[in-house]
Formats: sequence, C-alpha cells, structure tokens
Amino acid sequence: MNLGAVSKDAGEHAELLEFDMDMDGFASNWAYCDRLSTYFARMISHNRSDSLLYSNLFSSALNELLETVYRLHAPSGRFVCSVARRGASERITLTVPVDAETAIFYRESVSLLAEGDVAGRYHRALFADGPLQPSIGLLELAVDYAARLSVEPTGENAIRLIAELTLEVADA
Amino acid sequence: MIADALVQTYRIAFDENNQELALSGSMRPERATDMADCIRLLEKSIASIRGTIYLNVKRLVRLNNVAFHTLAGTLLKAVDERPDLKISIVTSSVIGWSTKKFGTLTTKNPRIVVEEYDSEFYPGQTFLEEGGFIPILRTQTKLTWRHEKEILPRHGLKPGMTIADICCGIGDFAQLVHKEFSPGRIVALDHSKSSLSYARSVAADFGIHGIEYTYGDASEMLLEDNQFDFVTCRHSLQIFNKPEFILKELFRICKPGGRIYITNEKNSHCLGEPRAESIQWTYNEVAKLFDHFDMDVELGPKSRRYMLDAGLEDIRMESFMVTNLDGDPQDFAEIIQSWENVYAGDMAVKRGDSPEFIQKFRQGFQDHIFAALHPKGYAGWPIWVASGRKPL
Repeated sequence: MNLGAVSKDAGEHAELLEFDMDMDGFASNWAYCDRLSTYFARMISHNRSDSLLYSNLFSSALNELLETVYRLHAPSGRFVCSVARRGASERITLTVPVDAETAIFYRESVSLLAEGDVAGRYHRALFADGPLQPSIGLLELAVDYAARLSVEPTGENAIRLIAELTLEVADA
Repeated sequence: MIADALVQTYRIAFDENNQELALSGSMRPERATDMADCIRLLEKSIASIRGTIYLNVKRLVRLNNVAFHTLAGTLLKAVDERPDLKISIVTSSVIGWSTKKFGTLTTKNPRIVVEEYDSEFYPGQTFLEEGGFIPILRTQTKLTWRHEKEILPRHGLKPGMTIADICCGIGDFAQLVHKEFSPGRIVALDHSKSSLSYARSVAADFGIHGIEYTYGDASEMLLEDNQFDFVTCRHSLQIFNKPEFILKELFRICKPGGRIYITNEKNSHCLGEPRAESIQWTYNEVAKLFDHFDMDVELGPKSRRYMLDAGLEDIRMESFMVTNLDGDPQDFAEIIQSWENVYAGDMAVKRGDSPEFIQKFRQGFQDHIFAALHPKGYAGWPIWVASGRKPL
C-alpha cells in the first residue's frame, strides 16, 4: 500500500492525497472502505471553514464510492484513490480495475445520473425491498451531495471514476 | 436501561424512562445481517413502549446506505404495524448529512418525524449571542488577555501543543492563543453559527490561518477522545445549567496527562469605589437574575470542586481582577454599559421585573461606570481561573 500527500497540479486542481494498493488487497477487508474514507476526510478537511462538518460529509461521500468499488471491480489490478482540490471543490478520482461487465456497470450507472428523475430513482431504491441495488452510492452522491460524476477509460482493464464535490456550506 | 451493548464500531443503548434509543459512532456494515443485534434491540425497544419512541442519532457520525436501508425498513414496518406508534428521530446539524437522510422517512410515513437539535436547546444564552454584543466581547477579551497571557503558562500551556477552545464564542481568544503560543493545532468550537461566522471573517481579515472553527454542541461534541494537550473553556460553564456535562466532555477530549483550563466569574464580587453600596446591590441582583435563567454566574470559586468531581488532579487555581486601570478606563466602562443594556434592558424585562426595580438595577451599573471613570476611582471585575490534569 502506498499513501502520500502530494502537491503537484492535477490539471487546474491541486492534488492533496493519493493512495494505491492491489485491488485484491483492498477487497480483502470491508473495513478498509470506512478507514480509508475517514482518514482521507480528516486529512483534507483541516483547512476547510468547519473541519468537523466537512470531514463528516466528505467521509460519507467517499465511503459510498469506495463501497461501490469494493463490490464491483475486476479481481486484480491496481486500485488508486486520489483527492485534488480547486477552491471550494474536491475531485475524487478512483482508478478501478474492471472487466467488461463492471466497465459497463460504471458507464451505464453514471450515464443514467444525467437522465430523468434521479432523486425519485434514488429514493425508490433506498426504500426498495430486498438488497440494495449496486448503484445506490452513486445515486446518493448525485442527489444528496450534488456531485458531478463521470467515467473515463484508462487503458484496457481499468476505468477512472471521477466525482466532483462542493461540500463547503456557506455560513448562516 | 434494559440494554446497553457495544456492537462493533457503534453503540446502541435504550433508555426506558425516556423511551429513547440512542445510536452513536460509525455504522457502516457490509451486509444487513451484520446489524442483527442492533435490529433486535430496536424491535424490542419499540415493542416495549407506548406512544412516541425517540431515536437519538445526534452522535451517529457515519452511516452507510446498507445501515440506513436496514434501519429504515425496521422503522417503517413498525409504524405500519402499530397505528399508535410515533417515531421521533433527533438529528444534529453538526453531522451534516443526517437530517436530510432521515428526513426521507417522513415522506414514507408522516408518523416518523425528524427534529434537528441545535442552539435552541440553550434558550437562556440567546441574550448573550446577539450580534450587538460582539464589540463588547472583543473588549472583554482584550482586557482579560492582559492577565491570561501571563497566567496560561502557569497552567501548562506551551508552544506546539494541540489545543481545543470549547465555547470559543467569537473566536478572539483562539486567535490570541494562536499568535502568542504557536500551537501545533487549534480547534475552536461553538454552537453559535453567527459567532463562528464572525470568527472566521476576522481570522481571514487578519491573515490568521490554522484555526479550525467548528460548529458543535459542547455537551455532546463529536471530537474524538484523548486528542488535545490543552482544553480551554472560558466564561462558559457558568452559563450552562449543567456545567458538569460540559466538564465531562472536556475531560473526554483531553489527552491523559493534558490539562483543562476554565475561567468563570463570581458576579456578586464585582466592586467599585466610590458608590460601593449601590454597585454591590446591583451585582448581587445580577447573580439572582442569571439564576432565574438557570445560569450560575457565581461559579468561579466553585471551579475547584467541579474539577475534582470531574476526576481531574493537580488542580491549580487563582483569580485576577480586571479593573479600570487595565489600559483605557473607557474600555471598562463600555463593558459595564453593555452589561446594563443586556441584563437590565433585556433579561430583567423578560423576568417581568418592575420599572422601579429596573431603575435601581440600572443605577448600580451607572455607579460602576462612575467609579471606573472617576479620577480617583477604582472598579473591578473578578475572574477565577482553574486548571486540572487528566490522570494518565
């Protein structure tokens, strides 16, 4: 596992923190989703206007993304999670090893976020009987966190899942 | 209490007397079945009550969709099956996500309601949080800081420490500590969003970076245990109706071996010459007035007892007197004038005092100002400082 704080530019964003590990290692322990999202949230929130509130929100959003990846990925390959900042926004980039089936899931799920009544679909999914649908976390980010999600191809066996978030709450 | 179990990273407890089930911590299970114990206790608790059950999630910091889906299913099933049942979910705006998330339950069944806990739970303090009071709070800190910057090192404050300033108000003390003592980290917490907004704007104007101004409830903070070397809480225990609850939280977030530093007043000991008698009468009445609103502005000398009862050791205690001789006497006079405006103009009126009483009450403040500005006068405002160490 590698974890580092970096300050290089990621386009117009300043990269804050990057983590990478083998996917089979990440997927060996469910608790990594919680630990990783909590650690990232603490590290990047200290200079936000309300560090505790920001950390809670960021951890919740990132955790849903990580749980999605935990459930849907190719068995092997490098998994990379990085966070970059531009002003009030954070950009989470997850590089996820995928096979054909999981690649389709990510592309279609993100594509559907731009169509129709997303909030309605999210709330119906949240209260549906039986197990939750695998895209619930992506729906939550789009609805509750107003995240802008996109998927970019990167080589043959991986995709980049990108979430742009603006969580800073204006002072009352 | 019929059950109190620690389940993985979250805690669940049912208080039968208050019909309240409290969930706290981090609830991010992989599968619904991982929450079987929690759901059993929830169902058992609901079955044992009549009327309304309160689900307290004020300190449930993290909750994933698996957990929400499982909790929601159980709660909705319960209200569907029992027409007499109401569920009140108490959230905290400090958490950020929870009011919105749990609020979706109301759309599924209106007998599930969500209440957001916030500063309305400290109604007495609103007198002291109005925007007009801010310049006076700054002047107060200016006058007390002259003393406290010498006192703080005697109570263990050193550069590089991790500091929490709880009930930071308008944040000026944190800014002075940041400048004078170069802490490694400083978190300043208050439950007044308007005060925090002011604190952030002042810090930005003055180019001060590194103070984490955080919204939160001092009696139920979300800060983690054993984090801070030095925890300050100034002029605040005296305006909470249960100061021991705040001290318990200060103790919790303080590192073992770290110190908790508090300041409080004993208002009836404010003094002045000339016109001492009128001044003394008014400040005795100030103490009674605050007591009416469940605030103990006589707390200062009781600090030692509170700290010992909280489990602290190596208690250090001293007092200092802010006086009209601390710089410009007009600063002192302005503080007293603001007290008169709030205590006589707002609080006494709210208590329903007669015009005659209020006139006499105001006179004592005017006499205190007279003493402060008199060329041969002396006017004082005593403050008690206490600190204690959290045992290793």
